Amino acid sequence: MLSINNCQIQIEGGLITLPNITLEKGELLVITGPSGMGKSTFLHWILGDSIRHANISGEIMLNDVPLSGVNIEQRRIGLLMQDVHLFPHLNVLDNICFALPHRLKDEQGSKLSRPQRKDTAMQMLSKINMGYVAEHYSHQLSGGERSRVGLVRALANQPQALLMDEPFAALDPDTSANVSQWAFSQLHERGVPSIMVSHDLNNIPSQAQHLDLANYFQQV
Amino acid sequence: MNNRLLAKSQLSPSNQLYSAINLGLKSTAWVLVAIIALAPLLGVVIGLWPAVELDWAAISRFLGYNGLAYSVASTLLLSLVAPLIALYIAFMVYSRYRFNRRWQSLEKRLAPLLSLPHLAVALGLVYLFSSGGMLWSVLWGFIGQTAPEWLGLPRKSMLTMILAISIKEVPFFLLIFSAIGRQLAIKQWLLQGRALGYSENASWWLIVFPVVLKQSRLAVLAAMAYTLSVLDISLLIGPNIPELYAVVLYNWQTGFTPDEQTFAFLGNLLLIAMLGVLIACIYIHERLVTKQLANHAVMANPLNITWLSGVFTAWLGFFSLLTLAILATFLLWSLGWNTHSTFNTANWSISLWQDEWFFMQGPLLNSLHIAFFSSLLGVGVTLLALELQRHNKRYFPDYLWLLAILLPQLSMVYGWQIVHTSSNASYHSSWIILSHVPFTFAYSYLVLRGPFQSLNRHYELVAASFGYSPWQRWWKVRFMLLRPALLSAIAIAFSVSIAQYIPTLMIGAGRVATITTEAVAIASGNEQSITAVYILVQAALPFIAFLVASILAQRTRGSVDAEHQ
Repeated sequence: MLSINNCQIQIEGGLITLPNITLEKGELLVITGPSGMGKSTFLHWILGDSIRHANISGEIMLNDVPLSGVNIEQRRIGLLMQDVHLFPHLNVLDNICFALPHRLKDEQGSKLSRPQRKDTAMQMLSKINMGYVAEHYSHQLSGGERSRVGLVRALANQPQALLMDEPFAALDPDTSANVSQWAFSQLHERGVPSIMVSHDLNNIPSQAQHLDLANYFQQV
Repeated sequence: MNNRLLAKSQLSPSNQLYSAINLGLKSTAWVLVAIIALAPLLGVVIGLWPAVELDWAAISRFLGYNGLAYSVASTLLLSLVAPLIALYIAFMVYSRYRFNRRWQSLEKRLAPLLSLPHLAVALGLVYLFSSGGMLWSVLWGFIGQTAPEWLGLPRKSMLTMILAISIKEVPFFLLIFSAIGRQLAIKQWLLQGRALGYSENASWWLIVFPVVLKQSRLAVLAAMAYTLSVLDISLLIGPNIPELYAVVLYNWQTGFTPDEQTFAFLGNLLLIAMLGVLIACIYIHERLVTKQLANHAVMANPLNITWLSGVFTAWLGFFSLLTLAILATFLLWSLGWNTHSTFNTANWSISLWQDEWFFMQGPLLNSLHIAFFSSLLGVGVTLLALELQRHNKRYFPDYLWLLAILLPQLSMVYGWQIVHTSSNASYHSSWIILSHVPFTFAYSYLVLRGPFQSLNRHYELVAASFGYSPWQRWWKVRFMLLRPALLSAIAIAFSVSIAQYIPTLMIGAGRVATITTEAVAIASGNEQSITAVYILVQAALPFIAFLVASILAQRTRGSVDAEHQ
């Protein structure tokens, strides 16, 4: 469960006071709002990244553990951006292996070997019928394929929550609709609470929560 | 007849004349640019043409030359190890500085730090750290003792060479990483790496390093080719018995006996073969390292060892301090310090400067006018090369333009020397200027290509819409916007020319003395105080060039400079 309480975003010319947010397993929150209102900055704050253009305060709890003072690499929060930034020197399979937790164990409780890790990554790809891109490099993938692989990689890390910053904005409308529906079902299946910044409310599942930052903005 | 041919046939006589002149000018420009850029290759090829009769007996005498195998092996080891140490240190420094406030100050100081001649760094280390060196004398002087012998850096050894080259090449690699880094989404990669649970240091190594390593191939080759055939510092601080290969080869090349001439030819072949070995090593090293890091990535190894990078947070301070310490040591030596003196007992005076000034004027003026003309020519030809490629809408690969720094200097200059002597040319300094131009050209190209290519063409488009002709647009817009980058390029080319030793000595046959040739000649002897005077002057010249360039650059308003493309 991801909860954000008493959150205030101070941007140039105003203050946004958010209502308390609680996301149970598999739930999705979509954040919208005009440009410059700090949507992406808000995501980076949750991630634990250093913030430059705004002041944000509030408490973040992930599975009842407060995250203040915890650095990015220990938060277990995934990030998916518009450009998914697959690492160019690794192929798709190795990109996913890179994200699999270091201490991943098999059924006997021993640490996975190199071939086992590759098998695990391959299974994840095959599950979504994308085994054919395993040996491909980032520049050999289409936009839709890249987005799918990006999500698989993010999920391979077994995040406790996922943040998405307009992840499907660069795709054409049809692909965007397909990939986003697939992505939301994956997140729901795996019970990962997610927050997504988007301009497009067309392909959002009906049960998703929605927060328009403009509604909470006060001029100062 | 298609429209284009129709249009051509309807050109007026004056237009036809204009096109013919234009074509003639363009062809001449291409020939000029090709001569300068390909001169290094030409030199190497000429040097590989047998000028002497070869037989098996000569070859076996060559192969049996005393200490040859050791000399070759130690030179290969040095050329491989020193640049790679510099590469790794530079990467760790880069990873510590890139995304914090100190990056700006590091980028600003890189070019002047880079301009400190190799010779100054090499001798500076000896003056500071050898037994009886300034540092130990001062430290042990406090307790009234003499520093133990074993503590000192050997005056002439492999270790001293490795230290000098690996310390000196770090700013060069930082400059290259800075240019490569601008093209990569490093910040986002690191963020992804950290979001996936890796530390920032581990992310740098697992994600960024393999990409940067691949793109630094040419820079690594340049550093290795330099180390392979560097003569001045090999003579002064390299091991003695046997000497490094550059010294052995140079002795053959300047020898008169038929045997030495044969050895010079065969030795040149061997030098090229050694370069081939180094190129193979670059690829093998890259393959091994990327494979190893990919293995760690697949196993999600947290790479805890990467905390080591943290040590290099202090690099800028260390390097600046070392530079200052080196310069201060030379200054103190030139003012009366010696190995037996202390601050109280030394006879401080400026008499050495006054005495040497008389002997120094000639070499100084030679250095200045050779560096002035060769840097202007080098930068001019670079602009021409870039402009011609822009016109052609196709840029040739970098290695074609950077041959002067990718091939061993001893081989190419040997070829030029053969042409120079066989054409009975004089030993006038204009020949030295010409022999420096390929080097000033290559370095200017390295510095200018980025700013030139990334200049937003819309500026010229706007000027065209106002009715400016292509020449006016070039001069009033492109050239003006490039001024800060041009100034940096001139300063770098100037420093490169000042530090040239092999071409000055071999093409000038020792008759045109410069500050660098004099410094090496004097440093080969025992006069450490006089050496200090010449090294200080040699180090001051590039520094003054950078100072003038930065003052002028601050006074010009241009959107693009060498550091911020």
